[in-house]
Amino acid sequence: MPAEPILAVDSLARGFGDGEARLELFSGLSLSIGAGEAVAIVGPSGCGKSTLLHLLAGLDRPDAGRVLVGGRDWETLAPEPKAKWRGESVGFVFQLHHLLPELTAEENVALPLLLAGEPDARARATARELLARVGLVRQAGALPRILSGGERQRVAIARAVVRRPRLLLCDEPTGSLDAAHAAEVLDLLLGAARERAGALLLVTHDPSVAARCGTVLTLTPRGLLTS
Amino acid sequence: MGVVAAAAFVGLVLGVAALVLSLSLLSGFQNHVLARLAEEAPHVLVAPAGRPDFGAAEGAAARLGALPGVLSVTPVVRGRGWITARGQAVPAVLAGREGADGITLDPAQARQLTVLPGEEVTVVSSRTRLSPLGPVPVTASLTVTEVASASTGRKQPEAILPADAARRLFGIPEGGATGFELRLADPGNAPVAAASAREALGGSSTSTTTWQEANRPLLLALRLERVVLFATVFLVVVVAGLNLAATSAVLAATRRGDAAVLTVLGAAPGVLARIFLLAGLILGAAGTLTGLAVGTVVAVALDVTHAIPLPAQLFSLAHVPFKPGVRDLLAVGAFSLLWSFLSSIVPARMASRVDVTEALRAG
Repeated sequence: MPAEPILAVDSLARGFGDGEARLELFSGLSLSIGAGEAVAIVGPSGCGKSTLLHLLAGLDRPDAGRVLVGGRDWETLAPEPKAKWRGESVGFVFQLHHLLPELTAEENVALPLLLAGEPDARARATARELLARVGLVRQAGALPRILSGGERQRVAIARAVVRRPRLLLCDEPTGSLDAAHAAEVLDLLLGAARERAGALLLVTHDPSVAARCGTVLTLTPRGLLTS
Repeated sequence: MGVVAAAAFVGLVLGVAALVLSLSLLSGFQNHVLARLAEEAPHVLVAPAGRPDFGAAEGAAARLGALPGVLSVTPVVRGRGWITARGQAVPAVLAGREGADGITLDPAQARQLTVLPGEEVTVVSSRTRLSPLGPVPVTASLTVTEVASASTGRKQPEAILPADAARRLFGIPEGGATGFELRLADPGNAPVAAASAREALGGSSTSTTTWQEANRPLLLALRLERVVLFATVFLVVVVAGLNLAATSAVLAATRRGDAAVLTVLGAAPGVLARIFLLAGLILGAAGTLTGLAVGTVVAVALDVTHAIPLPAQLFSLAHVPFKPGVRDLLAVGAFSLLWSFLSSIVPARMASRVDVTEALRAG
């Protein structure tokens, strides 16, 4: 019996606007990702890659179809359990790190644990441990504004994986970095997904980044096509 | 955002401080009125019920004097009659007191009778005695020794005359009294002392009136004055609270990106609402506490330094009194915090309903 996929998408459709101004981004999109898989989704700017990621994380609602993470359909969950399940099962890395500016690197990484109700001391210890893994233990007390772009993205990765989610969703994670830092960040992401036997799905418009993943899919209005 | 929050904070501080100062000013004047009332009027009036007088007055006085908290017991012989002079007659409540010499008239009575101290008046009792010509009223001639205002709290002016003369006028036996006036160590304890006095003299045959009961209309007016002032000046706090709501709304709008990130990290809408509610409450609590401190310090300083003098010929006080009371401070603090909380609810709900996709796209 095959293992249940970490992410299962069935006939997903999403568009914006009404009437003649209606823009269909995609429809009939199906996808399944199992443990240990790394999938890159590519496509030109504006094709709906970020929208797709938001749908996969349960942050947006599809016009049709459904998204199951760990066997749970986002649409069937009430707001509170949905937020809880998202915190447990999904890690999200943005193109622009989106760290909270008033919190230190350590506090930013500890934040998902604190939101989950973990005691402050234990959350901070775990955060420091992860910052050490991404090579930023000395910057634990630093505010995001004094960190470089690459450092901020590494802090954001540490924050995304601190609760050991099964699914790691990344939106252009290297989009704002130079080639050296981009390679470093990509290594970290692939390593984190492999290490935790989870699944990695990243969207990018950079073919070289996509090539580092096992599967590369192209987003089209009719769904995902194998590249 | 810092400037907006600072403006909301200062507005709340000023509103709360204004409320504290206003209530302190009102308390200062009201405390003065109440103190004078308690100083001049008897704290408890003890009168017989269903009988004309306390026959064994001395025994009753001794029992009342032994009650805890009673400083003094003054027997009084009270009745109604007329005072006549120069063909004029005025009805009057006559109060016979031990040690009184002649008769003391109220200024209004003296004016109506056109008499001055040293002149003689005739006091006519409502009681009659039989004479060969039939029943005639009992009368007494007395010299006016003083014209003075009755003490605060009397429902109507009294003329004060010697107790013996009053007994003769009203047919009270030697040593008898129609009532006792008690003064207490703690005037606020008058209801308890009144209950003890009734118990001591036989509950059903004794009635009591405390100084609070005798002055109920005045005390109610003072309380109403306080409530109206509170409601009026609290409008300043209400406006400051609305300013706080606007600040919280700006906070929710400017930090919606952060709210979106928290949602991505697993924060439920309720958690987001609580975070923004807490932010509003912290600002409200800081403004309220600072306002309470500023208002109290300014009120105490104005009172201690006698900063606002009053013309002595117009007022019985030399300066404007400010008396901040603990109950007032607690009420102002509680209402201000409650209003801050209510003002933060709508912005907090706004923040909890953030459109994550839109907020993240906006950066």
